Amino acid sequence: MKRIAARTVYTVVVLVLSSIAVFYAIRLSGGDALAARLPASATSEQREAFRELIGLNDAIYIQYFDYVGRLLSGDLGNSLTNNASISTMLVDHGRNSLILGAAAFALVFAIGVPLGILAAVRRNSWTDGGIMSFSVAAMAVPNFWLALLSVWVFASTLRWLPSAGCCSPRQLILPAVVLAMEGIALTVRMTRSAMLENLNQDFVRTLRAGGLSEVRIVGKHVFRNALVPIISLAGLRIGQIVGYALVVETIFGWPGLGQVLVNAVLRRDYPVAQFFSLVLVTVVVLSNWLADIGYTVANPRLRRV
Amino acid sequence: MTELSEAAAARRDAWTQSLAEFEESQHVTPWKRTLERMRKNKLLLFGIVLGVVVLGAGILGPTISGADYTAQSFQNVHLPPGSEGHLLGTDGLGRDLAVRTFVGIRISLIVAAGVTVLALVAGIVLGMIAGYLQGKVDRTIGGVVDFVWGFPLILVAVLFAGGFGEGLFPVILAVGLVNTAAIARVVRGEVLGLAQREFVEAARAGGYSGTRIMWRHILPNILAPALVLASYYVAVAVIAEAALAFIGLGAQPPLPSLGQMVGDGRNFLRINHWESTVPGIAIVMLVLSVSLIGDGLRDVFDPRLRHEAKGVDDR
Repeated sequence: MKRIAARTVYTVVVLVLSSIAVFYAIRLSGGDALAARLPASATSEQREAFRELIGLNDAIYIQYFDYVGRLLSGDLGNSLTNNASISTMLVDHGRNSLILGAAAFALVFAIGVPLGILAAVRRNSWTDGGIMSFSVAAMAVPNFWLALLSVWVFASTLRWLPSAGCCSPRQLILPAVVLAMEGIALTVRMTRSAMLENLNQDFVRTLRAGGLSEVRIVGKHVFRNALVPIISLAGLRIGQIVGYALVVETIFGWPGLGQVLVNAVLRRDYPVAQFFSLVLVTVVVLSNWLADIGYTVANPRLRRV
Repeated sequence: MTELSEAAAARRDAWTQSLAEFEESQHVTPWKRTLERMRKNKLLLFGIVLGVVVLGAGILGPTISGADYTAQSFQNVHLPPGSEGHLLGTDGLGRDLAVRTFVGIRISLIVAAGVTVLALVAGIVLGMIAGYLQGKVDRTIGGVVDFVWGFPLILVAVLFAGGFGEGLFPVILAVGLVNTAAIARVVRGEVLGLAQREFVEAARAGGYSGTRIMWRHILPNILAPALVLASYYVAVAVIAEAALAFIGLGAQPPLPSLGQMVGDGRNFLRINHWESTVPGIAIVMLVLSVSLIGDGLRDVFDPRLRHEAKGVDDR
């Protein structure tokens, strides 16, 4: 309990510090932000008036408290490029990101865990070798390169799946698989080593001696023990998916939070960039916190401390 | 009374002398031993050969071919490999793919070198200070390092691009920062163990300053594991730079970066897929050689790191 409380306090501190860091980082580009909104012909007086209007002339910490105050009162502001409401963007793109992220997250465990179990049960066979080589290859290939190859093969050549767009189930397949690939590879390795660790334990020998079928031993007793570390680290997979989503959403034209953030950075639309940076940073910090809690709950030794 | 203190002084002198000899001996022997082990490691040798080829292409390629990587030619767009005058063909603007790939490799190498130097120096200094001084300093550094380490690399890089604008500098800074955290974590762990060892205690008893102990006695012991770890993060840096360039946040045109070339070529996959495949293969070769070298060095220098290196994947 004490550990969980301590981690929660730490998480809150980290959230505050990272919001300040993000705010300062994005403000560094504040000068360029004008170019996004004003035509090139604007006079220097007009530029100055605009700076004053959007509060760029205040001290940066005043801007920060202003901003946090407005966020807390629900006023998220508008985009500098097309004046779109940021709260509408959050709802629309957030939903898309949630769909893609949830699909990738489900794939990580739906594919990674069974493959890992299979590799462990048939260890040192060609099945094991094949699964483990797949896992090594999946980690060595950069995911944007994988995205490109999969578009080339499944969209351009075979014409089985659309190459980009949103949001039909068919359009979801390629980005979800690419986004999940590295997580799958890691989960396979983790599941395999966790299963192997438990398969060598004394209790397995006792169960075998007791005449229990191999399927029940592996499926019920070993699997339950092996699952603990895998589930407890699920939070880390969320953070990883958030990071890669920035690339994968952009490649597949999936209108999620990652794509919005990358486009905003490219167009120097700093209110949008700032807000969605904060959103993604918050998601990552919270998922790290979840991973910590999961790890603590799953480890009885840590729970007592 | 005086006799006793003289004996103590003699003992201290003996200590100091053996310490000085130890410092001398640190420079030669371990390297000869490891060189022998390196020669027996086939994958490492393959990685080194591959690395030399890619490195050679990056360093010498642009100079030897003498061609201009920005020269466009609208009569010669989308040429396949093997065309006259263009060994690997041309892209959509008629620019020579071979030269652009060579220059792209050069840029990847610059990023990798920048990131690695930054991460190694900062990571070792931070990790060593935290691990040696411990207590409050350790908790402060540890907190900051954990904070940075908790973020996905790509997200940090996009944030930096948001702050500093696109280009190579924010990429180097962002990847360097995250890798610093990774290296500092491992170095700190190693130093925590070393600080308990007799030779450090002896140096302390000899009255050496903390800086000197860290520099002359602890640093030589953590240099090998830190270098091995750093070679892993070279691969991470290359992939991250390529991914960012691919989505438009890395090196800016007309500078060709491998990731950006792959991205440009994807619109012409049906016309001439080599525009994406050539730089793509270059990335894979670069990453593969660096990973093999990292793996090999780890086996040669420090098999214990096998466990730590797996943490790399947990991003």
